[in-house]
Amino acid sequence: MTTRSTRSPRRRTVIALAVVLAVLAGFIVRLVDIQVVNADTHIADSMKVALGASRTLYGTRGEIVDESGQLLAGSILLYDGVLDPKNVGPVTRESDEGERVVVPWAKVAGEIGAVTGQTSEEIQKIVADALADDPDSQFAYLKRGLTTEQYRDLVAIGAPFLTFDAHPARTYPDGAVAGNLVGFMGSDAVPLAGIEKSQNDCLLATNGTLSFQKGKDGVTIPGTEQQQPAVNGGTLELTINRDLQWYLQQLIGEQTQDMGAKSGTISVVEVKTGKVRAMADYPTVDPNDFAASPDDDLYSRIFKNTFEPGSTFKPITAATLIDAAGQTPTSTVIASGWETFDNGARVTDSFSHEPYLYTLAGVLIDSSNAGISRFSERVDPQVRYDYLKKFGISTGSAIGFVGEQQGLVYEPSEWDNQTVYNTTFGQALTTTVPELLGAYGTIANDGVKVPLRLVESCTHADGTDVQPDVPDSIRVLSESTAVQVQQMLENVALQAGYADDVAVPGYRVAVKSGTGEQVDPETGRYRQGVYFTTMIGFAPADDPQYVVAVTFDSPTKVTSSAANAPAFQKAMTQVLKTYRVMPATTEPTLLPKFG
Amino acid sequence: MSALSQAAALVAPRAVERENSASRRLRVVEEPSRRRRPKLVYGVVALAGALTIGAAQMALSILTTQSSYELSTLSQEARELTWQKQILYDDVAGLSSPQYLAANASALGMVIDESPSYLRLSDGALLGEGQAALGASSIDAIGRASVPNALIKDTPLVTAPKATIQGAPVKADVVVTDGGVVNTPPPLTDGLPTPSTH
Repeated sequence: MTTRSTRSPRRRTVIALAVVLAVLAGFIVRLVDIQVVNADTHIADSMKVALGASRTLYGTRGEIVDESGQLLAGSILLYDGVLDPKNVGPVTRESDEGERVVVPWAKVAGEIGAVTGQTSEEIQKIVADALADDPDSQFAYLKRGLTTEQYRDLVAIGAPFLTFDAHPARTYPDGAVAGNLVGFMGSDAVPLAGIEKSQNDCLLATNGTLSFQKGKDGVTIPGTEQQQPAVNGGTLELTINRDLQWYLQQLIGEQTQDMGAKSGTISVVEVKTGKVRAMADYPTVDPNDFAASPDDDLYSRIFKNTFEPGSTFKPITAATLIDAAGQTPTSTVIASGWETFDNGARVTDSFSHEPYLYTLAGVLIDSSNAGISRFSERVDPQVRYDYLKKFGISTGSAIGFVGEQQGLVYEPSEWDNQTVYNTTFGQALTTTVPELLGAYGTIANDGVKVPLRLVESCTHADGTDVQPDVPDSIRVLSESTAVQVQQMLENVALQAGYADDVAVPGYRVAVKSGTGEQVDPETGRYRQGVYFTTMIGFAPADDPQYVVAVTFDSPTKVTSSAANAPAFQKAMTQVLKTYRVMPATTEPTLLPKFG
Repeated sequence: MSALSQAAALVAPRAVERENSASRRLRVVEEPSRRRRPKLVYGVVALAGALTIGAAQMALSILTTQSSYELSTLSQEARELTWQKQILYDDVAGLSSPQYLAANASALGMVIDESPSYLRLSDGALLGEGQAALGASSIDAIGRASVPNALIKDTPLVTAPKATIQGAPVKADVVVTDGGVVNTPPPLTDGLPTPSTH
């Protein structure tokens, strides 16, 4: 039996035990909470607040190299010098004899300026302006984008109020060579143009962190380092050959000036692979200093310009005629220099002549608008339209360059009476250089259209090699059609008025020129005496390996496409030399101009 | 060492016992006189062990601290070298560019010749036109340089220290003698000139 006296101590014990257990349970809960549940947060806090320090490990943005591995774009570190205006003042230094010398601020500013290329007054003004805005200001840029040498020289001055932020930046060792293709980066490491922008996924680096604990004297305590390594960007290999690219840029620069043109381009494509070996623009951009170029020169004209091609489309019409209407290079038509058609359309040639019995080859050699128009009546406009599409006109290229434009070809149902004929010689429609390269590449590659490509591969930091997705090749023309068109184009190179100017001694070359009329955007009519001239061809004619295209916007010394002949001849010669293409050992077949 | 002396101590008493047993058969076994000595050895060993561990720990700690300072010095050195590498890289940036090479070559009077010719070794046939170089270059890499490079815009050419790739073009001396060939080099009198290297 429990009495009051016996029950009381027992209850007290129980209560005491319960209290102790409750307190203990509270501690355990808190312990588990600290050590297990929120452990990561507390560790992070301790790293941040107490002993820990961490540093960003910058990954290096990937390099861009040419087909032989030569560097086109690489990464360096630049530094931003930052002043602490509130604490700017004299600097105390120790002289060689061990005496303490106080150097006044004005003199220190002069020393800083001697490194950065500013005057003492300019630097003092930066500080004064910052203090005028905010008397407690502790941040003002001294100068951004300092080189490593400048950075080390400034550190040697020993000013405690001067600090530095390192940041990765881009350098282009070859300057403007391939600047139109490679593109450039903004100062805040944002890609702004070209390959830098379109292939950013390959080139982009992932930053890592290094966290550690420091002793009182700033030395890292061993064993406390935790590293999350940075991952460098991938190496991007282009199909470009930088030496050829340089030569062609130099060449088109001289030729554009010689011909008094607004701009010029030269492009080279390998026939069997569709790989772009060079694309030269003038004027163009030096990505090291893109701010120095006018906006219009910052982006490649090869990709952003569309134009009415003119006579370079006649071989496409001729290929359609051979492939779909059973014509041959020696099929004939009667055409004079001025032809009026049944539907009322009128077509004139660039020179007046009496009615000639032209062969198809002769129409191309003389570049007769009337002749090709007469021939085109042997095939339905819809068929011609379908062939244009198959050649890739108005569909852009597989390169997918930043800002790449596409040509424009209207549906045949929208063609008026004049357009039906104008489209046979490349007017009333627009195209781009890559589209034209694709079409001539198809003819040169025996009728199979190989998609153009500018990127060879992307090699990631872990060594994996990624090839870009390229669409399948498609057959556009039968092989025999393509060979016949090749022959006709070789005869153009042999018999046209500019034959001597485009001949490459020792080689068999095929070529076609085009003098496209330009629409004045203000009046909506064709400009008088101002043309967009093109010359495109391939060599060797008996086994085509390279397509070369030269364009000029509004040449003035020679206004027709004859302006392009010297540039084409030199470019083709250099291409054949660069790739060690052997001179011809066979003779060409001459085709008759007239039936 | 201590293990060996222990073994010796254990073996010795038995040998003595065996000799004694041959002469006197029955006798009260004497209390082993050296029972306390192993205890002392163990104590010494334990103490020495503890001291050794303590010393080793201290030594290790000193070494770790020292190497952490060494590590710090070395990483500082590595940083210095990285800076040096960057400075050197900046110094030579752009010197490998094709326009610099071409401008240097042009300043020496070298030309880019047009049509190439090839000699086929199997039958000695000459492919191509086989024309002689006439001294005219297909492009003018120094007089009309049109591919700029901001990295080396103020860098003098190696072969013409007064010129850069863009500005101040230097004219190569063109000597035309009657019936002679343009740009014929002067005849050598005392062997090939050797470049002076450092």
